[in-house]
Amino acid sequence: MATREAGKKMIMLKSPDGMEFEVEEAVAMESQTIRKMIEDDCADTAILIPNINSKILSRVIEYCNKHVPTTGATGAAASDTVAPAALAEDLKIWDAEFIKVNRATRFDLIQAASYLNIKGLLDLTSQTTIDTISDNSLEEIRSFLSTKNDYLPEEEQTIRRENQWAFQ
Amino acid sequence: MEACCSVARIVSFAHLGLRILPKLLALSPDSLGKFRKVSPPMETETVVRKLPELPQDVLMEIFSLLEIPDLMRAASVSTSWRSAYTSLCNDLELYKRPQTPCLLYTSESAGENVACLYSLAEKRVYNLTLPDPPIRSRYLIGSSHGWLVTADDKSELHLINPITGQQIALPPVITIDYVEPIFDDAGTIVKYGLPEQVYCADSGSKLVDPKMLTYAPDELRDHLYVRAFIFPDPSAGSYIVVLIHGPEGELSFARIGDCKWTLLPPGWDYKQCIYMHDLLYAFTGTGRIDTFDLTGPTVTRNITIDEIDNYISWDMWYVVQAPCDGLLQVRRKIELIDAASEDLIAIKTRKILLYKVDMAAEELVEINGLQHHVLFLGRNQAQYLNAEEYPQLKENCVYFADDEQHNWRYKPNPRDIGVLNLDDDSTEEIVFQLWCSWPSPIWITPSLTVMNLSLYE
Repeated sequence: MATREAGKKMIMLKSPDGMEFEVEEAVAMESQTIRKMIEDDCADTAILIPNINSKILSRVIEYCNKHVPTTGATGAAASDTVAPAALAEDLKIWDAEFIKVNRATRFDLIQAASYLNIKGLLDLTSQTTIDTISDNSLEEIRSFLSTKNDYLPEEEQTIRRENQWAFQ
Repeated sequence: MEACCSVARIVSFAHLGLRILPKLLALSPDSLGKFRKVSPPMETETVVRKLPELPQDVLMEIFSLLEIPDLMRAASVSTSWRSAYTSLCNDLELYKRPQTPCLLYTSESAGENVACLYSLAEKRVYNLTLPDPPIRSRYLIGSSHGWLVTADDKSELHLINPITGQQIALPPVITIDYVEPIFDDAGTIVKYGLPEQVYCADSGSKLVDPKMLTYAPDELRDHLYVRAFIFPDPSAGSYIVVLIHGPEGELSFARIGDCKWTLLPPGWDYKQCIYMHDLLYAFTGTGRIDTFDLTGPTVTRNITIDEIDNYISWDMWYVVQAPCDGLLQVRRKIELIDAASEDLIAIKTRKILLYKVDMAAEELVEINGLQHHVLFLGRNQAQYLNAEEYPQLKENCVYFADDEQHNWRYKPNPRDIGVLNLDDDSTEEIVFQLWCSWPSPIWITPSLTVMNLSLYE
């Protein structure tokens, strides 16, 4: 196992476009998928992350780095001096900045969060999509998310009739 | 099922990767660089892609975070969104979004068959058209897991899920012990007899020769039904309905598909029920807690606590299961509002007191506040929810709906509905369009659950 700093296990993550990222095991284990592989001993040295290009993967790692619990293997909690509430507030602000990306990148991040099973990131990235669905009409949802309406007009009518109450 | 795909897919890819990687690594021994390119630069920005579409399993994951009305709208966006919605409906275990409770009521202008659903999350109303008999003619005697128990004007009971419109008839009223049909010459039921059961206060045994009272089919429900509870029956993938009924707060239960109600003797004076550890816990007005195991062929009563020392004897009260399997009893202190005439009696909730049930010491221990939790009280199964999971709810607040047992006597009167803040005991009304006082509004947690009735045919 590669070691970078004393006492910290490092894991190599590799994107399909050929980039490699060396990250602390604790950071990689923010992903439940990777955690499971590590725990099952299927990931001795390096893990190929399919379908996630290096641009997105580096952003995912950036997110995990920020969100990994601050109590490390070294023992003492690093957050002793910072109030948990302030820390959470700081994270919120950081998240809000992090998610200021265009739609294509957001969709890629959603897919990456889903593949890698990172709940916090999935919630964060999905939220904008959820807000779009919650606050807008069908036409607006379609235009914001560039989703094509591929229903035949009569099909759409039938479907709307079924759940007519939700469109009042 | 499909949500597992992403994990399965990546695990299989990873296994593949493991076989390839050692070779790649051997080619690049200088493995200390943090961001290191081993192949030509990747494609440029992904932004140029047209019409990005999310795969089904990802769509399902996003949809599983929506409240039901949003989910319904999302289903109409496109065929692929529709199919993600359908997959989610077919595997509701994946639909993990906790639904914010709504107040269900009726209104004259909306129509006889329409239930209005006031969403606390969106602060707006949805109108749901329900199957016959008209919801405005029914009594709402219970609500849990997204289902209502209603009593129609023939005093027959139904389960109905207002979201899906699915309705299931419960066993006929004449199968409840104590209820005697009275026929006319043509063999039609014209009235029901219900004994005025009297129990010996000391022994709890029935006194003989009770007086028989008779009621018209639409009156029986006034005197017969107190509360109904719906509990999941995991062994059958179905539900058990437990009824507290007349003459004196007896208990009966039925499974979906049963043809009759089964009485749970010999207790009476039951006020509240919950289901915990596969047992039915029933609470009496004199502080006794009985448990019943409904899973076996014969059901016997176990007296868990004979009498809680300082039981709540007078006000309305509720039981909820708090974390760590503790039981919480909730006392709702009401005040009679001075009305112009006796016909216009109104009650207002003034204070809510919370008690932990100390099972060992057999007493109630008062506690202060709900911290990050909220309560939903009324004729529904009382709910104890973590406000952190429901952004629109205010923590340490009690959302209450009218629950006076005899409120059928005062059908046109104002109802006691609002939010009480335990910080300062202040109450706030829930403001929206006028509801009808009768049937009395009830809390319901929307659910997409559909019961497979072919199993019972």
